[in-house]
Amino acid sequence: MPRSSFRLVLFLSIAALAFAQEDMPPASGGRGGRGGRGGRGGPAATRDFLGLGAAPDEAAAKKGEPLYQQNCAGCHGANARGAQGPNLVRSALVLHDEKAETIGPVIKSGRPQSGMPAYPNFSADDLYNLAQFLHLQVDLAANRGTYGATYAAVRNQPVGDPKKGEEYFNGTGGCKSCHSISGDLAKIGAKFPQAATMQSRFLWPATPGPAKARITTGGETIAATIRTLNDFDLSFTDATGNYHYARRADVKIEYDDKLAGHRALLPKYSDADMHNLTAYLVTLK
Amino acid sequence: MRLRSLICTAALSAMLLPGQGLDMKSLTLFNQPKDLWPTYNGDYSGRRYSALDQISQSTVDLLKIDWMYRITSVGPQRGVGGPTIKSTPLLVNGILYFTIPDHIFAINARTGEHLWQYSFDDKGGHLVGQRGVGMYRDWLYFESPDGWFISLNAKDGKERWRKKIADEKLQYFTTMAPLIVKDHVIIGVGGDAMDVRGYLESRDPETGELQWRWYTTPDKMGDPGSETWPNLDAMHHGGGMTWMPGTYDPDLNLIYWGTGNANPVFAGQSRRGSNLYTASIVALNPDTGKLVWYFQASPHDTHDWDNVETPVLFDAAINGQPRKLLGQGTRAGWFFVLDRTNGKNLVSKPFSGSGNWAKGVDAKGQPIPDPAKEPQPNGSMIDMPAMGATNWPPPSYSPKTELFYLNGTEGYGVAYLYDTSDKPEGYGGGGGGNFDSHSALFAMDIRTGAIRWKHQHGQDGSTGISGGILTTAGNLLFTGDSGQLVAFDPASGKPLWNQRLTQPVSNGPSTWMLDGKQYLIVGAGDTLYGLSLARPSAR
Repeated sequence: MPRSSFRLVLFLSIAALAFAQEDMPPASGGRGGRGGRGGRGGPAATRDFLGLGAAPDEAAAKKGEPLYQQNCAGCHGANARGAQGPNLVRSALVLHDEKAETIGPVIKSGRPQSGMPAYPNFSADDLYNLAQFLHLQVDLAANRGTYGATYAAVRNQPVGDPKKGEEYFNGTGGCKSCHSISGDLAKIGAKFPQAATMQSRFLWPATPGPAKARITTGGETIAATIRTLNDFDLSFTDATGNYHYARRADVKIEYDDKLAGHRALLPKYSDADMHNLTAYLVTLK
Repeated sequence: MRLRSLICTAALSAMLLPGQGLDMKSLTLFNQPKDLWPTYNGDYSGRRYSALDQISQSTVDLLKIDWMYRITSVGPQRGVGGPTIKSTPLLVNGILYFTIPDHIFAINARTGEHLWQYSFDDKGGHLVGQRGVGMYRDWLYFESPDGWFISLNAKDGKERWRKKIADEKLQYFTTMAPLIVKDHVIIGVGGDAMDVRGYLESRDPETGELQWRWYTTPDKMGDPGSETWPNLDAMHHGGGMTWMPGTYDPDLNLIYWGTGNANPVFAGQSRRGSNLYTASIVALNPDTGKLVWYFQASPHDTHDWDNVETPVLFDAAINGQPRKLLGQGTRAGWFFVLDRTNGKNLVSKPFSGSGNWAKGVDAKGQPIPDPAKEPQPNGSMIDMPAMGATNWPPPSYSPKTELFYLNGTEGYGVAYLYDTSDKPEGYGGGGGGNFDSHSALFAMDIRTGAIRWKHQHGQDGSTGISGGILTTAGNLLFTGDSGQLVAFDPASGKPLWNQRLTQPVSNGPSTWMLDGKQYLIVGAGDTLYGLSLARPSAR
């Protein structure tokens, strides 16, 4: 369908049109920039989707960690991803274990033929705690729902140059023709202190909610709040709250494109521009 | 009297209970019988083009819903919500066989009457999708989500054996529709959460025993392709899943398969190199499982751009010469046309965005990934939505228009690297953003890759792919749009007809003819619809 002069940012009916893309949990209606394939559903929902089984016992894993670091990390690496000894996160034995029933005997007896010492003195609790530490390492790799917490520091830390970001804001980016750091953007850095969130926000600052438009039908123009708009149907409420329906082909729809500036910048940003602008905006506290 | 009643019974039986088996000779490259849809794509080509024309531009206004079959026996499925039909139903001897994760349904194709349901109790795996069953004579073949390969009797859905083909504890999962080629059942696997190694298998249709297994990454250092990996460990944990059915050319005796993204998914620092044969189109000998040629669509993929989209086979004249071709529209946003006899490239062209993640193409026509566009801790912008430009929903090729059709998305997204260590695992990063995005139906010129027409859906911000595509000799293209089933003019992209359904189109539409009546079959969420003309005689 040819797109008419209007541009409309809608969050209506999108859930009805879209179905979940493959190999990700269904989105909870959120969009824009957060999460994406990194596990928007949170640890438990993502775990359920992935079929990872029971969640690791985090309290036990905490107890197992010093045991692991003291006895195992030297060969298997600090996060169990292998050193001169094998990677335990990708280990079939570990992945088939639930409560130390397969891991436990191996630790207790060791693997003399491949140089792994035996640990006959570990108690059943020790073995359980060690197993849970390993299961937690698996979860941190396989369960995308844990990434948000694990990698918060990396994601929150701006890498750009705030000075260059300020120059971009006032110069090439043309941001100041619509925005002011003492006006609409005052304290924006306090509102979005995290680099990733701030960046998504300025790249495409669409906010959920019904879109306002002017609908012309039968020679009459109505200020409308859109309910549904697709290739075939338009429904909306007018200023007094009355419901209207029209065939999409029979109406003209116009609205103010508040995102025109942002849309125009998307093909122009270099990654450095984007990072610098982020680094600048997070300083506006 | 007694004799007559016996004869009557015999005659009735012949009419109502024809053999349920499939004549294997009806599996062909292009010319499938009109009363069959015997494999996922209908024929071996993957064109999803039907020569039927009772439903045509001049009769489509008479198209109506004939019956509906709603899945009421299955509630919300683990991690994914309500049942969603992504499979394309097989039609054999008047019976439709279709699936959702863990379940197979057999229904009467003329009426939607329920015949039987097979249900499986999974112990893990993803319930993200199920593409359908394969059929060989009297037997059906099905993959459970957790790596069981199951054979059933098509007559009653009774299981005859099951074989374990993948370990769900390692995060493999299994969703694809088996492809039957001669006396081989070809099956693939999925799973990219845990850095496992992709493979494709051939199994015996009678016993389920393994005939061959082809890994999507080389076996040992020194083997061809191993030079594209830094070490054996990276190569054997390098991903490359085979989660969609491929296609087959009986004359060339080659199967064509798309392979998935490399692992770890977004963190490429521990697997420097192009990572063969992930994110590629591969041609294998179905009798031996030996690689004959490959074409890598997303070398050293770091964006989760599975290259499993159907490798569609078609014949067309190029510069006056008849050619055997293969076309693929990829999740990485490029459209490729290859010579399917040898993998030589004819067209490489982005259809969504400018292909800004590549610096151009190499001598083979494969994109050259730009290292600067790999995921970064503060993100790297790609001029496509974060989920990629298209996905598994079936594309189509019409020999009448000589255009290649796919549902895709446009916009901008950002790829992030989270795990900056030298030993990343799993995803190690993520994609974010559907900036200024919209979904669209694309029609591509197979000779130039130029977009002949594009129908942008009338909803900004939409990134969903509205089902697969079917083209027909009735000069119609069926697909989903705006939550409805829509018929387009395949030459111009003009919508000609639309039908509201209870949910958006969720599979690839299919068509066949029984008793002189052409049916259109489409899945939309939990409901399968059979449509036909109100007056089939109207022409």
